[in-house]
Amino acid sequence: MAQVIAGFGVPHTPVFPFFVKRDGPSSEIAKLFAAQADQLAAARPDIIVMFDTDHLNTFFFDNLPIFAIGVDQRFSGPNDEPREVPLYAVPSAPALASHIRGTAIGAGFDVASVQHFSVDHSVIVPLHFLTPQMHVPVIPIFISGHLPPLPSAQRCYAFGQTIGRAIASWPGSARVVVMGSGSFSLEVGGPRMAPGRDHGVPDPDWVGRVISYLERGQTETLIAQSTERQLLKAGNVGGELLNWIAMLGAIGERVPAYVAPQLQNGHAYGVWTW
Amino acid sequence: MSIFTVNYLCREVLRDHAFRAAMKSDPARALAGKDLTDTERRALLAGDVGALFRMGANAFLMAYMARFEVCGLNVETYNQRMRAEKIDELGRPLERAADPE
Repeated sequence: MAQVIAGFGVPHTPVFPFFVKRDGPSSEIAKLFAAQADQLAAARPDIIVMFDTDHLNTFFFDNLPIFAIGVDQRFSGPNDEPREVPLYAVPSAPALASHIRGTAIGAGFDVASVQHFSVDHSVIVPLHFLTPQMHVPVIPIFISGHLPPLPSAQRCYAFGQTIGRAIASWPGSARVVVMGSGSFSLEVGGPRMAPGRDHGVPDPDWVGRVISYLERGQTETLIAQSTERQLLKAGNVGGELLNWIAMLGAIGERVPAYVAPQLQNGHAYGVWTW
Repeated sequence: MSIFTVNYLCREVLRDHAFRAAMKSDPARALAGKDLTDTERRALLAGDVGALFRMGANAFLMAYMARFEVCGLNVETYNQRMRAEKIDELGRPLERAADPE
């Protein structure tokens, strides 16, 4: 039987690989990702399932699923040219992905299937730091977290719970790590950018509250507070929190090993092991 | 709904390197024949991202014009123009511009 063995919450800031190359292994970003890479290696995952929000690269306005899953032998990325990131071919696990999709549809989540696809920095940047050899197959599950109407936090948590059950019901043997990718408060390219920058953190207070709820395992409060209004108030990519919420649904009631904040970036690095 | 084309062309600045180069060297020519209204075309050529935002263009995609410095934009000018926009609490434009066409 497959089992979910750990949960990770990861940022995916596209300029981070450039910063780490420039500033070296002793920089804060490098150390925060290295700590997560150590935890991930210790978990010995066979497969990573990553909840992610695409930035209009895998999808576009001509076709925008609320939930979608990659079902293929492999995928490529990044397709949006983040600096100092090579083009990777990432192995995937189509049999498990297909099982997850079928289970989710049976449970009332009508998940789109994606094949022969590429992904952007939001999947690849975390992998670039955590599994740069790309030796662990990755199944991306896409949640539409940028463009309202957003799926509700309750719906995303329940979706995550269903994915967790789907993994547990997979007859194959596999140790599965579930990840959620994204920020809690961030505006990219919109009017709430900081002066002179290409981004901003419109709601730092919300970032602090999210991290507090995560640290204390107050998932119900986190979900109740994560209204569409709050997510949009937190920035034009603030809905990426839904990926963390889905991850929490998939791993079950847990308290994190740690949640390391990077408040100035509006995000954190979280590890749930048990 | 040719704002779709505006959004699409912003992403093409990222994806299509020949189009990116054309937008840097001769944007009016690069946009010739594209399915844009005159208002959209003028706003794109002027780098008037605020007006495009009011017309419904996606900010994340428009930022590619600043990143790759087309239509007179760079991070600084893009930042100034977008920050000058009046928005509601959720970051949406207070006034949606109606395209006269």
